[in-house]
Amino acid sequence: MKKSWPGIALALLIFTGCAKDPLNNLSSDEARLYITNHNDSASFSSYTSFRVADSVAVIHNNQLQEKARTDFDAQLIEAIAARMQQNGYTRVQAGTTPDIGITISRVYNDYTGVISYPDYWGGYGGYWDPFYWGYPGYGYYFPGIIGTYTVTDGAISIDMFDIKNAKANDKLDFLWNGLIRGSGTFTSANINKNVQALFDQSTYLKRN
Amino acid sequence: MRSYKSYILLITVMFIAAGSFAQQGEFRLTASYAAAIPVGSFKDNVVSKTSFRGVDVNLLYGVTSKLSVGLTTGYQDFYEKYPRQVYKLSDGSDISAVVSNSVQQIPFLATARYDFTTSGLIRPYVLGGVGGQLVLNRQFLGEYTNDNTNRFAFAARPEAGIYIPFGKDSHTGINLGAYYNYIPYNKGSIDNMNSIGIKLGIGFPMRD
Repeated sequence: MKKSWPGIALALLIFTGCAKDPLNNLSSDEARLYITNHNDSASFSSYTSFRVADSVAVIHNNQLQEKARTDFDAQLIEAIAARMQQNGYTRVQAGTTPDIGITISRVYNDYTGVISYPDYWGGYGGYWDPFYWGYPGYGYYFPGIIGTYTVTDGAISIDMFDIKNAKANDKLDFLWNGLIRGSGTFTSANINKNVQALFDQSTYLKRN
Repeated sequence: MRSYKSYILLITVMFIAAGSFAQQGEFRLTASYAAAIPVGSFKDNVVSKTSFRGVDVNLLYGVTSKLSVGLTTGYQDFYEKYPRQVYKLSDGSDISAVVSNSVQQIPFLATARYDFTTSGLIRPYVLGGVGGQLVLNRQFLGEYTNDNTNRFAFAARPEAGIYIPFGKDSHTGINLGAYYNYIPYNKGSIDNMNSIGIKLGIGFPMRD
């Protein structure tokens, strides 16, 4: 009997020595991040119309792969347009110059680890030729910031630009960016939920 | 760094002292299940939930029949997942995330224990430990690692408890104790990793 105590003690250590795994304890919805940023100097009520680019840029390791319009992309475009209309903006179709230009990018990165990611919330819109918005030869302007996040998978980046004042500013100024990252980002069933989360935390983003 | 050296020296001296008395006493092991309740800024800013995943081990050599010295080690796992919330980052962006904090503490303490009596059914004792704790501190934003800091921090522990032998002549018995884990830890809003621990275990001599 006496000799069994060390064994019991060891069993105790093994039994209770397990840490709770924080990642295994997350649901797919809990694993996702919604990051938004906006231009502080922009008055969002001064814009009336918007247009969402009719396809999505696919960016892999900072290289533009293609402009795509899958079923998922089309649903995402419509979800964003619907929410913009709900917030008081008028949707215009191709051929009409909007006040706000919206581009969507699907971003995939292969690398992992904590990285310096100076333009994680913007800049992807720059893969769109300014000609698309009727301003050939203009450059995009994104303020640079530093963020450190571990990039292990894809993200959806939604960029809004100031088309209304492009001529006066001599550039397509950044207005707003929304980023969806993490498990379930590219699941169709999550599109409305994800778009809603981005707009809900951006209460300033409305016509009135 | 100078202070760590003195702890190491203290531990070494204790073991040398223990070794020179090895024929006069015996080594005793107390292996316990441990629960810990975070307090202070550890509770306010990291994990507020009580940890039920822990062990505590004392290996002590009897210098006299009442005084024993040796080493304390063990393990405690703290974890808390906070509901989704929007956080403002210093760069001006808003991030909506489920934040998980995960902290593991592994003590290495030079320990002295004083038993008030060597007879009777219930034998109270006090114990003091000083040394360091290996603190593994991780924070996740959703499924992304936001912080991963491993640090060896100064630690001290006052403890009081009772020992109940299984029989009048038994050298094995139940050990019940309560202690205060004092772990200064200066990082951002975290001032300490203090907790109140409760342990229940078995004490037995290390011999055939």
